[in-house]
Amino acid sequence: MMRKLDTLVARMILVSLVGISLVHVLSIWSYEGALDRELARANETQLADRIVMIKRSVVAVAEGNREALAHELSSGPLEAHWNKTRGAVSGGAGAERWQGVVTGVLAAAPELRSDDVVLGTGGDPHAALMSLRLPDGSWVNVDLFASSRPGHSGHSHGTLLSTSIMAGGVVLLALFLARWLTGPLRSMAQAVSAMEPGSPRQTLPERGPLEVRQLAAAFNGMRARIADLVQRRTHALAAVSHDLRTPLTRLRLRLDEVRDTPSQEAMLADIAEMESMIDATLSYLRGHDTGETPRKFDVAALLATIVDAAHDAGHAVTLASPHGVVVLGRPLALKRALTNLVDNAVTFAGTVAVSSAADVTDIIIEISDDGPGIPEDKLAEVLEPFVRLETSRNRQSGGVGLGLAIARAGVEANGGTLTLRNRPAGGLVAEVRLPAPVS
Amino acid sequence: MPPATIDQHPAPVERAAAHILVVDDDAEIRRLAAKLLREHGHRTSLARDGREMWQALESAAIDLVILDIMLPGSNGLNLCREIRQTSNVPVIMVTALGSDADRIVGLEIGADDYLAKPFNPRELVARVNAVLRRSRAEPGVPHSAQHLLQFSGWVLDARRREVVNPAGVVVDLSTGEYDLLVTFLENPQRVLTRDQLMDSAKNRAATGFDRAIDIQVSRLRKKLDSSADGQAMIKTIRGTGYMFVPTVVRA
Repeated sequence: MMRKLDTLVARMILVSLVGISLVHVLSIWSYEGALDRELARANETQLADRIVMIKRSVVAVAEGNREALAHELSSGPLEAHWNKTRGAVSGGAGAERWQGVVTGVLAAAPELRSDDVVLGTGGDPHAALMSLRLPDGSWVNVDLFASSRPGHSGHSHGTLLSTSIMAGGVVLLALFLARWLTGPLRSMAQAVSAMEPGSPRQTLPERGPLEVRQLAAAFNGMRARIADLVQRRTHALAAVSHDLRTPLTRLRLRLDEVRDTPSQEAMLADIAEMESMIDATLSYLRGHDTGETPRKFDVAALLATIVDAAHDAGHAVTLASPHGVVVLGRPLALKRALTNLVDNAVTFAGTVAVSSAADVTDIIIEISDDGPGIPEDKLAEVLEPFVRLETSRNRQSGGVGLGLAIARAGVEANGGTLTLRNRPAGGLVAEVRLPAPVS
Repeated sequence: MPPATIDQHPAPVERAAAHILVVDDDAEIRRLAAKLLREHGHRTSLARDGREMWQALESAAIDLVILDIMLPGSNGLNLCREIRQTSNVPVIMVTALGSDADRIVGLEIGADDYLAKPFNPRELVARVNAVLRRSRAEPGVPHSAQHLLQFSGWVLDARRREVVNPAGVVVDLSTGEYDLLVTFLENPQRVLTRDQLMDSAKNRAATGFDRAIDIQVSRLRKKLDSSADGQAMIKTIRGTGYMFVPTVVRA
């Protein structure tokens, strides 16, 4: 239940509906109560007036005509008779319901004293007998019937109908109102989700009602502070990496002075490793912002360069690719990505096969090796930066654990996707999927 | 460039001594680079910043400037631009920034070559010699002024170290293949021996050129020419070497 009331719209509808229905029912109830009382009083007064009028008319005529006149004046809820004797016996069940009529009669006919009027029900509360004493001691006996309330049930249908109509209106109104009020919030949520985390220039438009504008402004402020923080850290890391290049240059020059010593090779290899770590860190920090403008380039030539280089370095790498596979993208970013993937493969496997195939919509490049592969549950994880599988992938693998993260960034900078999967026969396949150019 | 003739010799590797000015704010790098260059037969002057650089340029006949980008005061890019307003002295930019955008900016404002820190000492020597050789072959014309070489609809951009085919598609070359192609483009319609090719290209960059020249030529052919055996552009001269057939136009 609470989950269904999760949205502001639902809550607003509920509150409006319950509130307005309650007010509506209460007001109808109190209004109808007042109306009932007013109607009853009017009935009693009218009844009393007629009874007094019958009594006075009967008094004015001769005794022989009195019964006929009384009968003549009877109609509706009352029937009058003239008798020598009193008909009514005071009291009876429900007699108090008729007290209003007695009071009305006494008020309308000041010539009557209170003991001149006797009212009794004789057991039936819906009917009563009232007797009025005439000055000569004879009586006018009036049978009274409780007037039924025609259309009472119809009246309650009307209440239900009007309540329902009002409720429907309230729901519609609340729906409209809530959508109108929460619209800016929803579009803000969409705008926030659509934001690229890495682009500080993107800000939320500060539109809509004041509160939403304030929220957007606060969000933009926070975003700017976070971007600033990230940027300062990035700059610090980039500065350190960059500044390391000057001492490395000195080291290289000094090593040239001590050439021909056996340890020179090893030291050069250490320097090369440090350089590649710095390059990896810097290119990761640069991210998608390679500064390259998209252009048409030949993926087959790129793969040939990479595979030839790996081959020259003594690795068993083969290439199967059609000639001239043209892509619109960023060649340097893709070259870095594919180089990292091939380097990764030759580090862990004896033989590596690189292939590319193009169809109308996609270009698929596969780098498959016969190495140990990657546990299924780690396939996605290893594409994240600074993640290394300590069990099988050691220090030489990716240096700082950025190789595959940079590869993925480079592929994505070309509008493509990078996925890793294990081969059933053993080994890993890195699949790069690039959109084919519209030529 | 006038059409080359067969009897001309390929550009010889330049070994003559030159006076080289090293501009770097790091004292050790200045000293070590100067020592390295002296060992390879050059004279050197040293400068710590722009002011010292101008003094050195005025007081001696400098043949080549090695200019670091990150300098106190006016940076290397500005200094290079100022040098180009008055002089065609060859300039090699050196930087620790190392992104490709920096390299292209450096070459576009008139530097002759660009080297990223930390550089291989042998590569520094090779680049210095290559730039000196070019500037002596065509004195008065900064190499960067004519950085486009056109042949058979293809374009080689020396600033970007990039080759574009007739369809406007960038074709990636390895360092060795690129250097080999430049050697061919500088000596079109001439028979080049394997030794000449090896020597000339190796001088440009020491890395990536350890494979036999025939393998490099065959890889280059595959990338340049999808048709048949790729003999159309680079012709095999049996028993001697290779010849680059198309006409080359500098722009």
